Amino acid sequence: MLEREAAKYPFLTEAAKLVDALNLQLDDLASPAYEKVLDRAAERVVQAIEDGAVDDALDDYMTELLSFPIAVMFVSAKGEPFLNRRYALAEAVRVYFLLQDEERDKLAQIARDDFGWALKDSGERYDGVLHDFRLHFHDYLRSSSSFHEDKWKLVNRIVKNGYVLLTQREVARLIQGEAEILIKDRLKPVKINLPEPIQRRLDRVSKVFEENRTRLGGEGLPSEVINEAFPPCIRFCMEGLLAGRRASHMERFALTSFLVTVGMPLDSLVDLYTSVSDFDPAMTKYQVEHIAGVKGNRTKYTPPLCDTLRTHGICRNKDDICERIKHPLSYYRIKARRLAYQKPPLPPQASNITQQSQ
Amino acid sequence: MESDWGSPRFVAEQFHRWYQSNARAIPAPTEIKQREFAFLQFGGKTMFRHIGFPDELTFQRYLKDNGPAHSYHSSSYYQRPEADMAGKGWVGADLVFDIDADHFDLPCQHEHDTWKCKNCDEEGTGKHPEICKCGKAAFEEETWLCERCLQAAKHETQKLLDMLIQDLGFSPAGDLVVNFSGNRGYHVHVRSPRARDLDQSGRREVVDYILGTGLKAEYLGFNLRAKGGRSTLADEGWRGRAGRALYDYIASTPPEEIKALKLGRKITNLIVNERDKALTILEESHPSILLKAVDLSDDEKLMSDLSKLMEIAVKSQAADIDTVVTTDIHRLIRLPNTLHGKTGWQVQTIELDGLPDYDPMTSAIAFRSGEAKVYVRHAPKVRIAGAEYGPYTQEAVTVPMAVALFLLCKKGARIEP
Ligand code: SF4
Ligand SMILES: [Zn+2]
Ligand SMILES: [Zn+2]
Repeated sequence: MLEREAAKYPFLTEAAKLVDALNLQLDDLASPAYEKVLDRAAERVVQAIEDGAVDDALDDYMTELLSFPIAVMFVSAKGEPFLNRRYALAEAVRVYFLLQDEERDKLAQIARDDFGWALKDSGERYDGVLHDFRLHFHDYLRSSSSFHEDKWKLVNRIVKNGYVLLTQREVARLIQGEAEILIKDRLKPVKINLPEPIQRRLDRVSKVFEENRTRLGGEGLPSEVINEAFPPCIRFCMEGLLAGRRASHMERFALTSFLVTVGMPLDSLVDLYTSVSDFDPAMTKYQVEHIAGVKGNRTKYTPPLCDTLRTHGICRNKDDICERIKHPLSYYRIKARRLAYQKPPLPPQASNITQQSQ
Repeated sequence: MESDWGSPRFVAEQFHRWYQSNARAIPAPTEIKQREFAFLQFGGKTMFRHIGFPDELTFQRYLKDNGPAHSYHSSSYYQRPEADMAGKGWVGADLVFDIDADHFDLPCQHEHDTWKCKNCDEEGTGKHPEICKCGKAAFEEETWLCERCLQAAKHETQKLLDMLIQDLGFSPAGDLVVNFSGNRGYHVHVRSPRARDLDQSGRREVVDYILGTGLKAEYLGFNLRAKGGRSTLADEGWRGRAGRALYDYIASTPPEEIKALKLGRKITNLIVNERDKALTILEESHPSILLKAVDLSDDEKLMSDLSKLMEIAVKSQAADIDTVVTTDIHRLIRLPNTLHGKTGWQVQTIELDGLPDYDPMTSAIAFRSGEAKVYVRHAPKVRIAGAEYGPYTQEAVTVPMAVALFLLCKKGARIEP
């Protein structure tokens, strides 16, 4: 495998072999010659934490290639399941960026040779869209398992003879999904004593992680959003989201429009979505802003009526307040008033979404 | 005496005898060493689980010696099938589907099924309510079956097979095994490396696919932005099925029923008053043309009306499987070709080609000779091996052994000494 290819896709077996062949020991890495590698490794993790995506710089192949296993080591050393997920996703997003510039044959090669997928050429057009490939549904289900949008559901795909029709872009997205799984698999908890220069970078990573932890966990929301007053339907959507359940379009719409309306800042909302799953940050931001009336046709959407939510199976666990109202926002208002009578206002840290949902 | 009904000792003896002469003709499931087995005896309350067999002979000897009322094997493959759940070492599992008329809502159930509240004596036909008027939820049930429920189950099975073969690409010859369940339904086992290692979320996706759950017509051609193309009615997979589902729904639903859905004025008008036009569009053009024929002023309303229609329409094309059975990767499922203790019939493997003409009430009969005298407390009319018996109410009758065992296993009769 070429160094350049290995640098792009360091999680592939071939790339790992290349690294193994160098037979580097931890102490070697501690030498000044590897300063750049260590810095880039720390940077990969920091970018994952801060931006949710590792950049796709490729100016120094060896640094790119070697920094990956070290970054994996950093994340493994932290042993935080949440960081594992975020890092694996951020690396996978980087892969997706790189794949955008690849030829169709390169995609096919990664899919077939490196992942062992049953991927075949196609060329069929449906609804005016060219589907370059077809992939066996077995491989499709695995690689798309963390995707939540309706369009990835098997039932919404063209499936024939065991194969799912896909555009080139979609294959790139699935490779991203598989990369995420492969990287996650490599993040196993370890306990090692690191030489000082390496430990120093890990400390930096830890610091950034601690600083961001609250923000990423969806905590620290302003106290004026009273989570305890959310109606059962909104809790249902929220819990589903936090549990990683595939949310329907309506669920997400209901949740977003509700949270925007009760005053959750847009950024916290975007963070909430991107922290719990594979939502593409840029896309999520766009959608959230769209619903909030900042983008698009500038209508600010209010949450749907209870009737509508009922039709979509989102109205769950109704309680006594539900009997009196027709709109989830009325529920919120009544419940908030009730709570105000019952007890003094909660300190801010007690009223956050994460605790609410546990 | 209440407990007498069913004469379990008599039935157990018959089962035992049957296994004495037939056990050696029961093939062991594939990869027997990796399977867990489980059995229930007549009158026994506990299931004997975590049983493993080294080979077919030992397996057949067990059946012969014990003559169990109910026999199961795991759809899963384990490293150590005899260990407890935690120690088994899951290797993989067949993909299994259960189609059971018990879960359907059929008119014939009101003719042959009854229930009675254990608390207040309230009673009725068909399925019992979730909670009785008296507030309790304990019922005594009598569930029978007839050609119509069996036919309904077969129809769902055929739809399922169609999807497994045409869409998911499983080979009818090599990957699929269809069994009559021995009671009111069918089991389909998929044995393929490509099914075996599917995890739970993968299996859930397959279930959603078979049931049409989460289907969004906008991804199947019903999209205003779609750039043309042909009619989807003849297309593969759900793309074709969704189109055909809507077509059938529009063609066959009474106008009042459609109006009751309270859809937009223009869409209702199109599919009620201009039905032929709507159908012609679906036959000849891309589905987006149908949407454009309705209204372009309110996309969102249009799409939500469409999904309301689809949700109803899709049911006719989906196959009504039990979701839990398929997603459970540690499932125990009835052993093919053994006897079912609630009917006395054989769980029977059916050739795929033979399914359309398969009639369990002729083919799955295990006890083909002899007769017995039974006292029947109550039984609807049944048709077994081409002859009709009953209905019976509190009478003693002498009937062929198969009929006697069926009435006994259903607990509707007891042996008349
Ligand atoms: S009635 Fe309205 S507020 Fe209450 S649970 Fe249902 S949708 Fe939510
Ligand atoms: Zn009662
Ligand atoms: Zn019936």
